[in-house]
Amino acid sequence: MEDVQVVAMLVRRCIAGDAAAWEEIVQTYNRRIYNICYRFAGSGDDAEDLTQEVFIKMYRTLSSYDHTKGAFVTWVTTITRNLLVDHFRKTKQDRMTDSMDTAASEHEDAQPLSEQIPDQKPTPDAHVRSREVGETVHQALGKLSPELREAVILRDLQDMDYKEIASVLRVPEGTVKSRINRGRAELARLLQRTYRQVM
Amino acid sequence: MPDHTSNGMQCHEFDLLLSDALDGVLTGADLDRFQAHAQGCTACGPLFAEAEAGRSWLKGLTEVEPPASLVNNILASTTGVDTQRLRTTVRSAQPQVSWLERMQASISGFIEPVWETVRQPRFAMSFGMAFFALSVGLTVLGVKPGDVRGLLNLRPSDIRHTYYATQARVVRYVDNVRPVLQLQAAIHGVKRSLNPAEPGPTKSKSKDNKNDTTQQPDQKQERNYSQTDNHLILASAPMGPSLLCCDLSVVSVTTHRRFV
Repeated sequence: MEDVQVVAMLVRRCIAGDAAAWEEIVQTYNRRIYNICYRFAGSGDDAEDLTQEVFIKMYRTLSSYDHTKGAFVTWVTTITRNLLVDHFRKTKQDRMTDSMDTAASEHEDAQPLSEQIPDQKPTPDAHVRSREVGETVHQALGKLSPELREAVILRDLQDMDYKEIASVLRVPEGTVKSRINRGRAELARLLQRTYRQVM
Repeated sequence: MPDHTSNGMQCHEFDLLLSDALDGVLTGADLDRFQAHAQGCTACGPLFAEAEAGRSWLKGLTEVEPPASLVNNILASTTGVDTQRLRTTVRSAQPQVSWLERMQASISGFIEPVWETVRQPRFAMSFGMAFFALSVGLTVLGVKPGDVRGLLNLRPSDIRHTYYATQARVVRYVDNVRPVLQLQAAIHGVKRSLNPAEPGPTKSKSKDNKNDTTQQPDQKQERNYSQTDNHLILASAPMGPSLLCCDLSVVSVTTHRRFV
């Protein structure tokens, strides 16, 4: 994805005070970071604020980046993920977010999460439209637990390999694969139940 | 996930290979064992199908477009160097108004209320009738649009030509009138020489009041004094030494009247 030497040079120029180099970094990575934040936080406003926070932190700690230890994109994604975790803790979303597994095991009488997804599209034809489907999938993604959500976002939306994801999440590759599989399966269950209700 | 063996593969191993299988990198004997376990295991079979479906759902999600101001906001909040560019961008986003458009706007602001009044049917009808009458009148008088256009010709060469033509007309007029004026002056001189004793109507007046050329003060005094019965005689009496010696009393009466 990136030429290590080119990025390393860009970072050095940026540390030396080259504003154009910093602008190039911002131009290159803002879209990626914004998308990660948007898919994780679920809201455009939160994603915009988080993206700015990520770049502020990146700007302050740019001198700590060592290109011999890993790719710049991994470093950037790690900063993003850490800020997302902090944001998640601050907003206490973990109290509202639950997974299908925990819902089934801990709250047997509770309504399944798949049934909690609002049915906003009354006709089956409406689901054909990709925009509406995308919105439904986005909502279902927000219902996943943060561990599963971040794993599938990095893998299926950001196309990172398992090693990079393991580095960002600081967990073994096997755990990464397991989380990705569980996240995908849970998402499919949520969406299948949603569409079954609609149909 | 229950961990039992089916077709030579444990569910834990199946879970590890599931990602590789979905990525298409699982081949050979591992793929055969994986598929056999998926068909035989009641837990892992549905998991494989659900994971595959979930993956396809996620792959269908498209990238969202960041807000247009995001880069500028980031640069402004980090280096601050882009605030100038941000201001420039905002300024350039505003439509540039030329002086002509500004003048038109100011004029329209003045004309608009008048135009609103004029647009009322009664005014419109009046203006229509006036225009019709004017056009009929001009047609009857034989005025053509070409004539008006000739009068309004403002080219420098035409203005110069008009100036010289007008000057020539004035010179010709003076030359033509001069003999007539000379003739009138001569007749006047002859008349004066034939009747030297006949007093002119204005001669006595000019003798009595040499400095007055307008006759206004006399008329004014006459008007003012004629409004009082006491000095009616003084106002109508011819001016002589007796009147001149009573100037002071006349002035005092007038002053008194003004304060009364």
